[in-house]
Amino acid sequence: MSPLRRFLRTPEAFAGAILLAALIAMALSASLLFPGDPQAIAGPAMLPPFQDWSLPLGTDRLGRNVLAELFHGARTSLAVGLTAAAAALVVGAVVGTLAGFAGGIVDEVLMRITDAFQTVPSFLLALAFVSVVGPSLGIVVIAIALGTWTGPARVARAEVLSIRERDYVAGARVIGMHPLAIAFREVLPNALPPVLAMSSVIVAAAILTEAALSFLGLGDPNRVTWGGMIAEGRTVLRTAPFLSIVPGIALVLTVLGVYLAGEGIVETTAVRRGLS
Amino acid sequence: MSLLAVSNLTKRYRRGDKTIAAVDDVSFHIDPGETLALAGPSGSGKSTIARLVLRLIEPDAGRIDFEGDDFLALRSAALRARRASLQMVFQDPLAAFNPRATVARVLDDPLRIHGIASRTERPRRIAALLERVGLTADLAPRAIHEISGGQRQRVAIARAVATKPSLIVLDEAVSALDVSVRGQILDLLLDLQRQERIAYLFISHDLGVIRAIAHRVVLLDAGRIAESGDACAVIDAPQSAIGKALVAAAPRLNRTTQDAS
Repeated sequence: MSPLRRFLRTPEAFAGAILLAALIAMALSASLLFPGDPQAIAGPAMLPPFQDWSLPLGTDRLGRNVLAELFHGARTSLAVGLTAAAAALVVGAVVGTLAGFAGGIVDEVLMRITDAFQTVPSFLLALAFVSVVGPSLGIVVIAIALGTWTGPARVARAEVLSIRERDYVAGARVIGMHPLAIAFREVLPNALPPVLAMSSVIVAAAILTEAALSFLGLGDPNRVTWGGMIAEGRTVLRTAPFLSIVPGIALVLTVLGVYLAGEGIVETTAVRRGLS
Repeated sequence: MSLLAVSNLTKRYRRGDKTIAAVDDVSFHIDPGETLALAGPSGSGKSTIARLVLRLIEPDAGRIDFEGDDFLALRSAALRARRASLQMVFQDPLAAFNPRATVARVLDDPLRIHGIASRTERPRRIAALLERVGLTADLAPRAIHEISGGQRQRVAIARAVATKPSLIVLDEAVSALDVSVRGQILDLLLDLQRQERIAYLFISHDLGVIRAIAHRVVLLDAGRIAESGDACAVIDAPQSAIGKALVAAAPRLNRTTQDAS
């Protein structure tokens, strides 16, 4: 059976894949379905959902189209979540591999730096970083990655420590392979599966952190974000709760979808590794 | 002049406050095209010597001269370049290869690293290497875990001879193979030695195999040399206590057939 079919056979993975596919479709079609500035005024203010079919989810306090904002927000969430997680995984895997493979003083220095980052709560770190450097999409990505690379680094290091004692690493040394080539060609690829298994949690956490930063007004002000929409709706929570609820549901479904799909992928690859 | 000369090699390990000498003042030499066997019970330091000779671990004392040079003095790039002449075959051919590797990649690495063949020439060299060890070239795209144990050990030998070494360390290289395959691999090793004058440092606990392949044998006990000499002479009439114990423990095929009749 192909890995894809095995992946889609588990109901959780299937649900996750559907949610994720919907999110990606929203992100990709945002500028096609809702061209122009999603932050432009589109109608009367505070129009409730399902009243006017040209504005299906109504409008917010300033008369902006909520559905358009939702689609453009998907774009931000997905972009920030994926790039921040990718950055965290790449940095973590490289740092962990170098520390575990080199050992000695390199290991000590890299792991004490990891400790230092890990002792600061990651959200606080992101908050501090964005407040100092200023909010923009790139900075938000860096801020989130800054607090999340330590987990992958520790897992990668632990895995590398066990792999570097294996015969095939000795074999690579015997044929005269350069130590960096051994670390990144022979050791790192085999240390990756448990690191990648963390990716779904990291993506989900990154999306939530981005939403939280936006909620606190530290997101990129030139982009629609779900966190920002919730913050915006909070001021009129009693009269127009849907303004907070709609992006809130989107956020929950996104995090759920990422997590379920990620678990499904881990499950599928675990089965494949078990068979081989 | 001998190809490899090991003198007063010592390696200690610290366990708690005790230091244990895994290899204690061991000296031996190997001539070009010769097979020297290292034998001894588990924990006698056979594999530690193999790893010391290959510079996978560093000795606490002693000297290793390889091809006339002080092998322990070589550093980083010079050491990596010299490794072409000194290769190894491991006991478990499955553990000795990257689990993601294909046969072609395993054989491509030494050719690429030591600049033996250009990128376009390498597939042909890989095919030739496979045929040299009695395999067919169509095995090249297969994953390492897809081929049989005997085929895998042949690939390991092909990888070891790819750089035209003068010495190959075989650490229990036939111990994990079943008996029929073991004979074929030993024949292949003898054939390679005859044609390319490769010397072997052959590590084994199996005296029958040693008698079949080795010229000389060194018997080890607790990190020290107990006895050494001509392989057949030592195995037929061991002088040391450990030699007698090893010979007594070795299963003899002819005696069991006599008993059965």
